[in-house]
Amino acid sequence: MKHLTLTILFTLFFGFSLSAQNVVKGTVTDENNNPIPSASILEKNTKNGTTTDFDGKYTITIANNATIIFSYLGYKSKEVKYAGQKEISISLEPDVAQLDEIVVIGYGSVSRDKVTSSISTVKGEDLVKQVASNPAEALQGRAAGVQVLSAGGNPGASPQIVIRGITSTLGSTPLIVLDGVMLPSGTSLNFLNPADIENFQILKDASAAAIYGSRASNGVVLITSKRGKEGKTKINVDISSGIQTLEKIQMAGASEYMQVINLRRTNDGNQPLYDPTNITTDTDWWDETIENFAPITNANINLSGGSEKIKYSGSVSLFDQESNYTKGWYKRFTGRFNVDFKISDKVTLSQDLSPRVEQYENTPGLLYNLLRIDPLTEVYLPQSQRTGNIFSIYEASNNLVPNPVGVASRVFNETFFFGFFSNTKLKYEITNDLTFNSQIGLNLTKSRTDAFSPTYFTNPNQQRQINTVFRNTSERFDYVLNNTLNFEKTIVDKHYINFLGGIAYDAQNVNFLNASQDGVPDDENPLLRYISAANGETVNASGSESQRNIFSAFFRAIYSFDNKYTFNASIRADSSSIFPEDGRTGIFSGVSFSWDIDSEEFFKSEIINNLKFKIATGEVGNQNIRISGQFFSVSDGNFGFGGDRVVTNFLGNFGNPDLKWETVRDQNIGIDLGMWNNAFTASIEFYKRTSEDLLFNVEPPNYTGIPGTIAQNVGSFESRGFDLQLGYNKQLGDFKLGLNLTIASNESSAVSIAPGIEQLLGQKREDLGNRFIKITEVGETVGLFQGFRTLGIFQNQTEINSHSSENGTIIQPNAQPGDLIFEDKNNDGLLNDDDMQTIGNPFADFYGGLNINLEYKKFDLSMQWYGTYGNDVFNYPSTFLNSGTQDVNIAAGTLNRVWSPTNTSATYPRLTQQDRNGNYQRPSDLFIEDASYLRLRNIQLGYNFTLPGFQNCRAFISGQNILTITGYSGFDPEVSGGGGIIDGFGVDYARNPVAKTFLLGLNLSL
Amino acid sequence: MKKYIKILLITTLIISFGCKTDDFLDEPLRGQEQLDDFFSTEEKSLNFVNGIYNKVNGESWWQVTMPRQINEMATDDNWSGNTLQPRPDITGIAAYNVFPGSTYFNSFWESHYIGITRANIALERIPGVNMDENLKTRLMAESRFLRAFFYFELVRSFGGLPIVTTYTELLEPSISDKVRSPIAEVYELIESDLNSAINDLPLKSQQSAIDLGRVTKGAAQSLLAKVYLTEEKWQSAKDMASEVINSGEYSLETQFENIYKVNHYNGPESIFEINYFTDLNFSEVGNGLPITNGSRGDQGWGWGSPTSDLENAFLSEGDNIRLRSTIIKHGEPVYGDPTTTSFDGKPTENKSGRTNRKFYVPVDERPVPYQRATIALPYIHIRLADVILMHAEASYFAGDEGTAKTSLKTIRDRVQLTTNMALTGDALRDAIWKERRLELALEHHRLFDLRRQKINGVPRIALLMGPNGSFVNYNVNISTDPFETTNLGEPQDKGKFFDINTHLVWPIPPEEIQLSKGNITQNPGY
Repeated sequence: MKHLTLTILFTLFFGFSLSAQNVVKGTVTDENNNPIPSASILEKNTKNGTTTDFDGKYTITIANNATIIFSYLGYKSKEVKYAGQKEISISLEPDVAQLDEIVVIGYGSVSRDKVTSSISTVKGEDLVKQVASNPAEALQGRAAGVQVLSAGGNPGASPQIVIRGITSTLGSTPLIVLDGVMLPSGTSLNFLNPADIENFQILKDASAAAIYGSRASNGVVLITSKRGKEGKTKINVDISSGIQTLEKIQMAGASEYMQVINLRRTNDGNQPLYDPTNITTDTDWWDETIENFAPITNANINLSGGSEKIKYSGSVSLFDQESNYTKGWYKRFTGRFNVDFKISDKVTLSQDLSPRVEQYENTPGLLYNLLRIDPLTEVYLPQSQRTGNIFSIYEASNNLVPNPVGVASRVFNETFFFGFFSNTKLKYEITNDLTFNSQIGLNLTKSRTDAFSPTYFTNPNQQRQINTVFRNTSERFDYVLNNTLNFEKTIVDKHYINFLGGIAYDAQNVNFLNASQDGVPDDENPLLRYISAANGETVNASGSESQRNIFSAFFRAIYSFDNKYTFNASIRADSSSIFPEDGRTGIFSGVSFSWDIDSEEFFKSEIINNLKFKIATGEVGNQNIRISGQFFSVSDGNFGFGGDRVVTNFLGNFGNPDLKWETVRDQNIGIDLGMWNNAFTASIEFYKRTSEDLLFNVEPPNYTGIPGTIAQNVGSFESRGFDLQLGYNKQLGDFKLGLNLTIASNESSAVSIAPGIEQLLGQKREDLGNRFIKITEVGETVGLFQGFRTLGIFQNQTEINSHSSENGTIIQPNAQPGDLIFEDKNNDGLLNDDDMQTIGNPFADFYGGLNINLEYKKFDLSMQWYGTYGNDVFNYPSTFLNSGTQDVNIAAGTLNRVWSPTNTSATYPRLTQQDRNGNYQRPSDLFIEDASYLRLRNIQLGYNFTLPGFQNCRAFISGQNILTITGYSGFDPEVSGGGGIIDGFGVDYARNPVAKTFLLGLNLSL
Repeated sequence: MKKYIKILLITTLIISFGCKTDDFLDEPLRGQEQLDDFFSTEEKSLNFVNGIYNKVNGESWWQVTMPRQINEMATDDNWSGNTLQPRPDITGIAAYNVFPGSTYFNSFWESHYIGITRANIALERIPGVNMDENLKTRLMAESRFLRAFFYFELVRSFGGLPIVTTYTELLEPSISDKVRSPIAEVYELIESDLNSAINDLPLKSQQSAIDLGRVTKGAAQSLLAKVYLTEEKWQSAKDMASEVINSGEYSLETQFENIYKVNHYNGPESIFEINYFTDLNFSEVGNGLPITNGSRGDQGWGWGSPTSDLENAFLSEGDNIRLRSTIIKHGEPVYGDPTTTSFDGKPTENKSGRTNRKFYVPVDERPVPYQRATIALPYIHIRLADVILMHAEASYFAGDEGTAKTSLKTIRDRVQLTTNMALTGDALRDAIWKERRLELALEHHRLFDLRRQKINGVPRIALLMGPNGSFVNYNVNISTDPFETTNLGEPQDKGKFFDINTHLVWPIPPEEIQLSKGNITQNPGY
């Protein structure tokens, strides 16, 4: 033993002394010749290494035949063989392949080559291209399988994010995690300044999202904010400003309007109403209500830098957008300060602070009335007739549609919103491999809404005799406490293991108070619009509080063999306070596997540098239910006996004590491909997601006397589809091209609903006979349109008589030439609700985005196209904008579109007021249109130039939504009615269309 | 430095692992009571039964009151009225061009069934409450009356109905399989509920001041009389009506105009009414009919405009007292309202230029602001005159013409009209029917009267309406009324589409058919 020890010591000593000590110095710079601090210099196959200093300089002592590896995150590593040089300075190039790129995967991160599940990355620099109040607008079309449904053109509107189809009726909003802190369900991304975002990682399948358990069934969006890096302080200033404009919708003028109204009556054998030769008023309501240009401005300043011990990044931003109406705007101010403080070798403390202030005024929903009000009404009353206050100067329309200019003048609804977000992280590297992370996230929001309804008089049926002032204050306070232990080690260069275990606390408190009183003494003085100034009799107050707590434990294991085979498994248990004690805990898990085929020995290809096969399965949950759904709650009201008030109580909600989670199980299989050193990349994934125990608000038959609906876990949906992403990057001299195409297809169908229930109905329309126009049937796609199928228009009485059942019963005995022919689906000779059938599908066959980036010398051009194909829309305005039966205004050119004996090839039925055939009393495919479209969402042309004192300057012009190619006759093919994805999706309710925006901007870097 | 790090770490660890999870996860619902704990005191049981009363007229203007107005419009007493607003879902029903999907059929159906379920809950839960037994019995009886009331309104409107009598059955999945029970079964339930209630309800004179307005024995008896009359159980109807008349609890108002008066609650003639009052702090506690049924020239919505046919009926009897308190005409002074000397009936927007005087509030008595749901005008469901007329009608059909004539005379005496005691046979029958029309005009009785009153087995409504109906014929060919013949916004031939095979009941709301997956079937013809 002694002998052995001596031998070993001797060998080591000799070995050590035999190798000569060579000192090498140098500087490491990036592709722009800027020094890279903290770049890594390593003597290959040893542990001998160092890092560059602040100026990119290093000194290392190496052996004779050593090879030096220079590396830095995000750059391609370089190896230099030592051949006696005293100085080795090197320039590193950015690593497009990004195989070493770190991907955040939930409570941790791994390098991209170890990602086994479906994760899409969208970079922050892509998100700042679209100037909008909500960063989700910029997300559209950039990640395959992630759909962003516009919420309309109002300032401050929040679009809906739908990841991989529909698996619930409760909404599709994914879980948002900001720097490791989960945000409450339904949080809109409005609070984020897009310039603060480093990237979005979107976890699309259950195996990736399982670590987030019961809140992850709609997918997870991991947002990482920008952090400081070591180096000189950098200052970036971005400003852009521009105008928004709406495309005018042409409505009929007075002459056409009068003719249409008259024809409706004369066609029924009644007297005409107007004399079209005598026109005294011809109001163009669009011009009167809508402003041509509305400004939008966005400004951002970012400051970042750091040393080895402290790194910081701070920003301040301002956003201001006005609507094209006289009312409606959105302003936002955000600040962010992120600090990373390396207290010691082992301990790092990070603190993020982000306050924000938002102010907005509701944009009134005027489009609906603006389209319907007749052109024979003046906007204002003549001076002589103005007897009331300034809100009473508007003329009442003949057809009783509220005067939109008047309505706009009376809308007072402003919200002031303050939010504060704090994120404190402590990282303790217990050993080289074992790290303890503790994190406290605090999220405080306070909002206050003030509303005022003034007294006014238009006519006895459109007036308000006493004004009301209203205020709502809400507070929300959440905290999240995460503690994890992470063990990460590579054993003998072949076995990579990564274990993560943790527990988390999540508490959410919401409380609100509403108060209102009537009788403010002066309608016109804004200083008196407070409850203290009101002296009316009606005082109302309400308020409540809710608390929702979740306690979780989770564990994940990743094992990778030789960088070729990677296994990933995770499990999480969530207990939520909103469920009754039994069945409170849900357990969710996921497993995935990937195979780096290109790392295999047998795989030799010059062209293909990355070929990865992925397969995954997992289970996640959804606990975002109406908390009160379990309870049989009692409400109160009022009644009178003998002239005195008494309290009444009644059953307010019929509960379900067995309520529990929804569960989504999914499978994902995919291939990632990289060719020509990732000049071309492709990724295709096929998935199937099945949801169970879906929470439905089931409407029981009315004879049960059950108020409203009952929440039940019934039913199951299935969503299938594929995501395809293609990328191409090429540089030819001064010319650089980047293309990114995403295409996705998804079909969501109902596998089962409640026992005994074969269908779900939604979107009840009172004016279409109180019928439901949306239907979800077992075995069919969710949320289809239902109604009557039309077979054309009757041209003469013979056709009416021959439209009969087998035994000769005339199906539509009340029809006249010019009326719609309806299909008697069940052939029983009667036209009734049994003949309703599926008439349209609001979901697209395909949707996708194409992003093009071109650079040539100092110029850069980027375009983003987005489109859908094969989706139908229920064009609700067409129930009155063409023929219709109500005396509201119609679209210009109606006379040419409706059937008449001289216009027999028309698509719309004849004008009639009585409408005995029910052309307009029932939903039919007359109102269903194909709304496939292709839209140029964003085009931006930039020019880089230099100014003394600035590192880089860029000026740009951009246009948003400036071109839309579609066959849809409505105002904006991107529609979504109220009621959520299943009930409302695809119904066009004349929501404010998306505006065209033209911007000029400047980016400066110091 | 190391010391601080250690402290920081220990603190973190303590915070991380120190929280107790059990307390953390125990978060009950705030701000609302639960049904299972609710029935614990006397006061709460009382308040719950109060909630059932809310469904008698619905909580706003559209659930129940507007359907009642629409029923009036479908008779010879009223036009749709409002000729300015195109509402085929209202005017269509009046003209018997009925769209089953009209929201008012659905809201009427839904509102009444919610009331039935509230009554069922009370009947199931109140027995278990520890409270005064007399009050308990009385509350149960009130619940039964109200349940019978709701079923009666439904069966008269729609025909056969699904019958739900308990709350517990709602918790079973089989509740979704209910079908419509035959009309006879519904009436059985109604009669059983009313008979039971009659035993346990107090007399009106026994009620304490705070309970005035709650149902009484007299109310249950009167309603049962009406039920019997509708079922053509003449003798039972006659006897039940007699009990009310002879109880001494009620007497006719000496002045006809005082029956409907602001702030006049539970008058001597009133048997069952809703005590609307004015208090702006509470929503929907006041009457809305003065507005919804009022003239469009007088801040009203104009739904329901009395016909010249009705006016002619008053004139043919020389019945000025009731005419001036029933119909107001454009350009004429309003009886009982000294400030209105020329009423604005806005004939261009109200079909007949006439308005219902019974729901009209004189200008000086109007609350400020004058708006819907704030007016202190009670709504009377049953009054003594109604019971006396039922007594007359039932007596006649039971073969007792003498008693019939005595009751008829009682009614006519109040408004100073002489009664021809020699009337007999069809002439007496017609006189009783006409008296009922004039006495109870515009109080939402007419449609059901016309449907149940038969001549040679044919309901009178079928003789008045239809392409050859006498009412239609009058308006199209005979009427020279200056308002009706000039305002053709509502066609003169209202009612020509009436079909006896279809329109004796209203359609089942298509929503109910859809929600019950077809178990609830539609009425023929719709």
